[in-house]
Amino acid sequence: MKKPIVHVKDFSLTIGNKQIVKELAFDVMPGEIFAFLGSNGSGKTSTIRSLLGIYQATTGVLHVNGTPLTPATARAVGYLPEERGLYTRSKVLDTMIYFGELKGMTRDDARDFSLKFLERVELSDKANLKIKKLSGGQQQKIQLGVAIMGDPQLLILDEPTKGLDPVNRKLLLDIVDELQQKGVAVIYITHLMEEVERLADRLLILKDGKARAYGTVAAVKKEFESESIEDIFVQIYKEKSHEVAHV
Amino acid sequence: MSKLRSVIRHEYLTIVKQPSFWIVMIAIPVAIAVIGFLIFLGNSSSEARIKEVTSNLKDVAIIDQSGLINEDVVKSAELQLSPAAELETIREQVRTGEKEALIVYPESLLKTQKYSVYLSSDDFTKMGSVNGLGDAMLQTSLFIPLGSAEVVALAQQGAQSDLVIYNEGKESAGFNEYIAPGIFVILFYIIFAFSVGYMLTSVSEEKENRSMEMVLTYVQPRTLIVGKLLAVSLVTLTQIAFFALMGLIGLLVAHQLGNSLVLPFGLDLTKMVLDPLVIFFGAAYLIVGFLMYAGFMTATAAAAPSTKEANSFSTVFFLGAFVPFYFVTLLVTDPENPVVQFLTYFPLTSPVVTLIRNTVGNISTFESWLALAVMTGFMLLSLWLAIRAFKLGALEFSQTIKLSALFKK
Repeated sequence: MKKPIVHVKDFSLTIGNKQIVKELAFDVMPGEIFAFLGSNGSGKTSTIRSLLGIYQATTGVLHVNGTPLTPATARAVGYLPEERGLYTRSKVLDTMIYFGELKGMTRDDARDFSLKFLERVELSDKANLKIKKLSGGQQQKIQLGVAIMGDPQLLILDEPTKGLDPVNRKLLLDIVDELQQKGVAVIYITHLMEEVERLADRLLILKDGKARAYGTVAAVKKEFESESIEDIFVQIYKEKSHEVAHV
Repeated sequence: MSKLRSVIRHEYLTIVKQPSFWIVMIAIPVAIAVIGFLIFLGNSSSEARIKEVTSNLKDVAIIDQSGLINEDVVKSAELQLSPAAELETIREQVRTGEKEALIVYPESLLKTQKYSVYLSSDDFTKMGSVNGLGDAMLQTSLFIPLGSAEVVALAQQGAQSDLVIYNEGKESAGFNEYIAPGIFVILFYIIFAFSVGYMLTSVSEEKENRSMEMVLTYVQPRTLIVGKLLAVSLVTLTQIAFFALMGLIGLLVAHQLGNSLVLPFGLDLTKMVLDPLVIFFGAAYLIVGFLMYAGFMTATAAAAPSTKEANSFSTVFFLGAFVPFYFVTLLVTDPENPVVQFLTYFPLTSPVVTLIRNTVGNISTFESWLALAVMTGFMLLSLWLAIRAFKLGALEFSQTIKLSALFKK
């Protein structure tokens, strides 16, 4: 049996006087796309930051590859945060190399990867331009490149297609598909339920810091007696309170 | 270690690769050179104009009712004394433009110490030169009874004093003792004007452009802050080296042009005193003061949600660095004054005050160590606050972190 790459158990997070996440538990398996869903303020980003070691969990376990993640072991993870941006005054290639180094790659490896990636996303001619000269979509491609540098085993994508045109959206999803084929696990955060339907193997819907639905897409649909994830999502958010429906 | 090196390189190159960095750096010595050249040019052209106007001042009448003006002095200016009875006639001639000017030394000159000048034109240069002519004739006439030209020159211009100061029975170098420690005061302000602000910008921009979260996934906050501090220190060294190079070039150019460097207060670089303890304290206050300010700036940038708000909050630190100059006379003359004592140990004023007192030598060794210890304490506090604010505020994009939150567990 495969071991989960992400293992979260009894995880709670309190910041100040506010409890953000309550006794959350889930696993993410290698090679699967795991949709991590919830409305704004439901606790998704806080959970991800805790998984990455940026926030300290109040209680519980958050493991990647069997241990808590630290900057030293973070190379296993590629992260595209929701609040994302790049050094606008730096050049594209310099920025990618810098992030590659921060992930633990050598300068040469980071350069080789960056040049190949820029060619793949048709931005080779922009390598020596400053980031601020790029369009929003082009910057987003660079951010994806930064996220997938260093052969991560786990990719966390927080609304990766936000603001992308259909062509670039397809390009991004193709890259995600390829990585999944190679066995990379993907935690996919989105508000677009058609993307969940198309991509996800399993999902978790978070509301007020608690898991309200968890399992394979088919199992959750069966549990909620609905053929639409969007309907299930709306149903959960209309309810006042609901325990986790299925594991 | 390699991540720290990457952070240092990235931060350093981000700053020094900006055209604005070099524009500002080059603009300062260029502005100084241009201003100097303009002053030189202006003075030269003014002097030439005055000479020209003075040489044309042949149509000036002089009436002496005081009896103090020497006739030979007037003649040497190729002018003549006119009789007092012609005062009204000549004044009318000046009014109508027939005559250029009239200088009248009245009978009451000694009592009132005033004389009159009538001029046919409102030309500023002419106004100055006729006044100058009147003053020169009066002064020279008064000094002539003293004797030789040397005596007159001595009486008019005074003499330079050769200062010999004894300190505890030994001859001291006077103001030359201030040169070496004074350099640390100048360095502090160069660092403060440029580098400390880079810490603020570096952190707040990283927050504002939202690259912070990606960075913090792979780097510990402490590594990031230390990397930024070291990078900014390297930037500072680059700036100091650049300004030193510019200064050296300036000296060489001045030397080639045959000008010798004249420093104020009789300072002489060849007589610079290098007291190891004074230099140690100067360097220590500079480094610890820089780190303390950098820590406070980092904490401010991390706690504020945007660059704009961080800049507003940082004003208080700039005030701290410049307030001591309002008390500079007190700092130099009355080191025991309670205000001076307070400013010596108050964290925001301490670096500048200790550097100034170290320069003029009115801080005892005990006080120096105590001030350094207190400053080091505040420096450590500022760095702790920076890391704490960074952990709490680095990913807070909408509100300012409260000061009380920084001290909560």
